[in-house]
Amino acid sequence: MASYFDEHDCEPLQDGEQPNHLLHMARLLLDSGLGAEWDMEYGSVFGGERKVPPASKASVEALDTHLVTPTEAALEKKCPICLSLLDEEDEVKKMPCSHIFHSKCILPWLEKVNSCPVCRHELPTDDPEYEEFKKHKARAKQREFELDSLHNSMFG
Amino acid sequence: MANIAAARIQREFKEVVKSEEVERCKIKVSLKNDMYNELEGTIAGPPDTPYAGGTFKLEIKIPETYPFNPPKVKFTTRIWHPNISSVTGAICLDILKDQWAAAMTLRTVLLSLQALLAAAEPDDPQDAVVAKQYKDCQEIFIKTARHWTNIYAGGPHRELDLENKITQVMGMGFDEGKARVALSSHNWDIERATENLLS
Repeated sequence: MASYFDEHDCEPLQDGEQPNHLLHMARLLLDSGLGAEWDMEYGSVFGGERKVPPASKASVEALDTHLVTPTEAALEKKCPICLSLLDEEDEVKKMPCSHIFHSKCILPWLEKVNSCPVCRHELPTDDPEYEEFKKHKARAKQREFELDSLHNSMFG
Repeated sequence: MANIAAARIQREFKEVVKSEEVERCKIKVSLKNDMYNELEGTIAGPPDTPYAGGTFKLEIKIPETYPFNPPKVKFTTRIWHPNISSVTGAICLDILKDQWAAAMTLRTVLLSLQALLAAAEPDDPQDAVVAKQYKDCQEIFIKTARHWTNIYAGGPHRELDLENKITQVMGMGFDEGKARVALSSHNWDIERATENLLS
């Protein structure tokens, strides 16, 4: 059985450490549906959408890079960014979601946005705040799922 | 950068022209100049909506950084819709802002706009007055949107009672367009609309 701490995605308090009541309060409020309103408030106060961060340098460097082989070129696939053919000897990069782009096309995109232009598969970022936001979203989703399965087990 | 944008628009242009949506969903793009940075889009109002039968024109401006940044799109045909400004034609749609992806094309943008006409997002409004009417008085909203489609987009359905109210307000010496906006914004209450026109 998972420990209490694993299940609640938190760490045991160190000796002498006090619980962070403010953080817990904030999470409670966000999870109870105030989040949606707060996100809207945030948007109206800070002028617009949350900026999407670029992909982390390490994740871009780690992408599979190769030159288009004659067999690949024969498939006559197009680069989804420039819409021209992937010709033999063109340098291409493959995203973890298997979508393939010209290196010269995908690099400027990943310097702006961390997701695949075709399917939005996300690469990690170097932005700690965004990573925290992503975790928060995943946590909210997980909690929704848990609530659902709890309801189903009681009333299903 | 500029020539990447132009080269891609040229390729896309061919794609839209030969796509079957030109026939089926009725979308169209035409060039405004030979630099491929200004285009005119046309979409047909989707069936079973107040926009059905109307033809809506869009101004499309291609930034030099396209396709890494979205095209700038706004309606030039006036339209009554929660996510489109009834005054300027400015559009509130996530893919034209932070949700843009470089693999999207003029074709997908026009199809998304057509989908937006069929399914408004009143909780993320561009025009607060229209959005409030959409939420609070759905029936009046539908009649108003249909009337605007008839007047500005060549839609087939006339709303005679609304036209009569406009004629009444025009009889008090107001301009037709202003009378239409004031009445539409005040749920076709003549008294409140004229008060608004006088203030």
